[in-house]
Amino acid sequence: MSTTEPVGGVGRRSVVGVGNRPVGGTDSRPLVDPWAAAHTSTEFAVLRNRLRGFVFPMTTFFLAWYFLYVLLAAFAPHFMAIRIVGNINVGLVFGLLQFVTTFAIATIYVRFANRHLDPVGSRIREQVEGGTW
Amino acid sequence: MGRELSTGVPDRTDFYVTVAAMVMIALWTTLAGLYGARARSTSDFLWASRTVGPRWNAAAVSGEYLSAASFLGIAGLVFKGGVDALWYPVGFTAGYLALLLFVAAPLRRSGAYTLPDFAELRLGSARLRKICTAFVIIIGWLYLVPQLQGAGLTVHAVTEAPQWVGAAVVMVIVTFNIYTGWTHSITLVQAFQYWIKLTALAIPVFVLLIHYAGEDPGFRNSLSASAPPSFSQATDVTPDHDVVLHVTKPMRVMVVGTPDGRPTKGTMPLAPGENRVAKGTTLHFDAGSRVPVISGAVVDNDTWLCPLSRGQRSLLATYSLIVALLLGTMGLPQVLGRYYTDPDGRAARRTTQLVLALLGLFYLLPMASGWLARLYLPRLLVDGNTDAALLLLPRAALGGWPALLLGGLIAAGAFAAFVSAATALVVCVAGGLSTDVLPSRLQDFRAATLVAWSVPLAFVLAVSPLDLAQGVGLAFAVAASSFCPLLVLGIWWRGLTDTGAAAGILAGGGLAFAAVLPAAVGVLPPGWQAVLAQPAAFTVPLAFLTMVVVSRRTRDRVPTDVSRILLRLHAPDRLGLSEDREVGQLGTRIWRAAAALSRIRGGRHRR
Repeated sequence: MSTTEPVGGVGRRSVVGVGNRPVGGTDSRPLVDPWAAAHTSTEFAVLRNRLRGFVFPMTTFFLAWYFLYVLLAAFAPHFMAIRIVGNINVGLVFGLLQFVTTFAIATIYVRFANRHLDPVGSRIREQVEGGTW
Repeated sequence: MGRELSTGVPDRTDFYVTVAAMVMIALWTTLAGLYGARARSTSDFLWASRTVGPRWNAAAVSGEYLSAASFLGIAGLVFKGGVDALWYPVGFTAGYLALLLFVAAPLRRSGAYTLPDFAELRLGSARLRKICTAFVIIIGWLYLVPQLQGAGLTVHAVTEAPQWVGAAVVMVIVTFNIYTGWTHSITLVQAFQYWIKLTALAIPVFVLLIHYAGEDPGFRNSLSASAPPSFSQATDVTPDHDVVLHVTKPMRVMVVGTPDGRPTKGTMPLAPGENRVAKGTTLHFDAGSRVPVISGAVVDNDTWLCPLSRGQRSLLATYSLIVALLLGTMGLPQVLGRYYTDPDGRAARRTTQLVLALLGLFYLLPMASGWLARLYLPRLLVDGNTDAALLLLPRAALGGWPALLLGGLIAAGAFAAFVSAATALVVCVAGGLSTDVLPSRLQDFRAATLVAWSVPLAFVLAVSPLDLAQGVGLAFAVAASSFCPLLVLGIWWRGLTDTGAAAGILAGGGLAFAAVLPAAVGVLPPGWQAVLAQPAAFTVPLAFLTMVVVSRRTRDRVPTDVSRILLRLHAPDRLGLSEDREVGQLGTRIWRAAAALSRIRGGRHRR
């Protein structure tokens, strides 16, 4: 979806899939649905595996981290009540750290996607649009 | 100093300052609407043209997301419940993380502008679409209730006007906005809204923190004392609804007024445990006396500063809340459309990252003010009006002109937030109503707008409501139990069928709605609070399970073009997709409605 695309296209209800059109008109090969081909390609499998390989472990990590806080609060209240400075105790710092980790995970994901997902995605795009499949 | 003045007729100056601030906000939104009316094309009204950078867009997303109900509510909950209430802001922020990791980019590529559009596009079922629309409306209404309630509370706190006045004023402004300018959709306007809200809250909170730092150490440190908060000077409190007060040590309070208005002189014993006080009773506290607290609030200051201070019983409720907030954000109807303002997926990710920073930054402020309220506003712990803490804080801590100006600033910022959040919600609900619900001769966006806000308004007037943040939490619970499974499975699992999705949404979302309804109406038996008021820990897994099991049993209904759809969702941007963006009925309808409205306004807009 490019920036130059007319936004007024919202109103159109077009169901003509690109997949129904021949790609690379001069090609004499039998017509293959480039979508199905791209979907089963190794490139797409790489893209999918990389994404899953990142998203699922990361989700497990941050859920564990949130629940750790709750568990500590429930079963180690004395630890959470240790004063660090003035009125500020461990529990409060732990709570505020949740914000920091949330932002940190988002930052790591953005970097990961820019470095490892976008290049594969671009290759698939070039292949589909270039009519390789 | 005017600290802890008893409730009474407010100073007229206060009234004028606040009303002036609110009028300024109304003018601002109107001007923004007029600016919107001059936007370049009709579609600019819907999702502003895709030319702004991630920074502006992030501010716009945050501006739309930060409802006043959530930030007044967070201040109130921190005040009452202490560190436990941190889960609300953490969850509201983490919800965006889940959105970023699981659904943001694929949803953006799908071309669906609304959740029912997504359902129809992915699974090709008109019946499923109707079910989704019903849930968009339910969630929108549940979310609108605390907005209206908060608006009423804000106006009441500063002008003593009845609760319905604030709610009605917000709805009038919202309706005006929608009929004239569709302000919510203009990215720059929403972005400014974020900075207005941040400024309106940051300046008062910083001034108050500096003031707090200058207090004598004994007063400052009483915040972590192993004792209840105490009144720093003699105070009269008159709860406006029946309250149940808790104390740890027996104490006597002086009663100086009865519910029927007769002045009286007597004392009332408060025993450890529950003590009922009828509304309208005026209690007198001498300076230095301990503060009895309403049920649900933490009694001693040192436990208030520790998480899960209400014991392990609240463990389940906390888990449930985390699940609801974490997974509910992606299912909120007003969040989705914003992602189209970014030129590509890379910018969309950057936007989300910035949103997390902006939300985290913002939420520190209500937390700090909840903390200060514990020192300066103990009387709210007696009358239960904790959601007003943020609004009343400057008056309680500072007094004089600074308090007036800062109080006016907070009220105006809150008002701006009610207007922007309510506008976005009303547009979503009205869109759903006009497309899929109202009979065809009534398929008018304007009529739908009126229906969209009159139902929650009637609800607010009819029932005695929950704390604001808890009310918001109910909307998240239903969203997490209905749309989260649809989105996650729809994007990540080829085996999903329309029957499975419908069954899951009805089972999870329906049960969540049935569970929160008693809480929303306020007839919850106390023992059931944890399970019913926050059912997400049960209903979210139920929804996922139902979707998977039913989809497995209806395998023949998997869409034949599932490969193409999934590739479109997961393949990179600009995969030649701009040619065949399938946008469902609702997007088309909203677009047409916008076009019709713009024609009415003088036909300035080209297609």
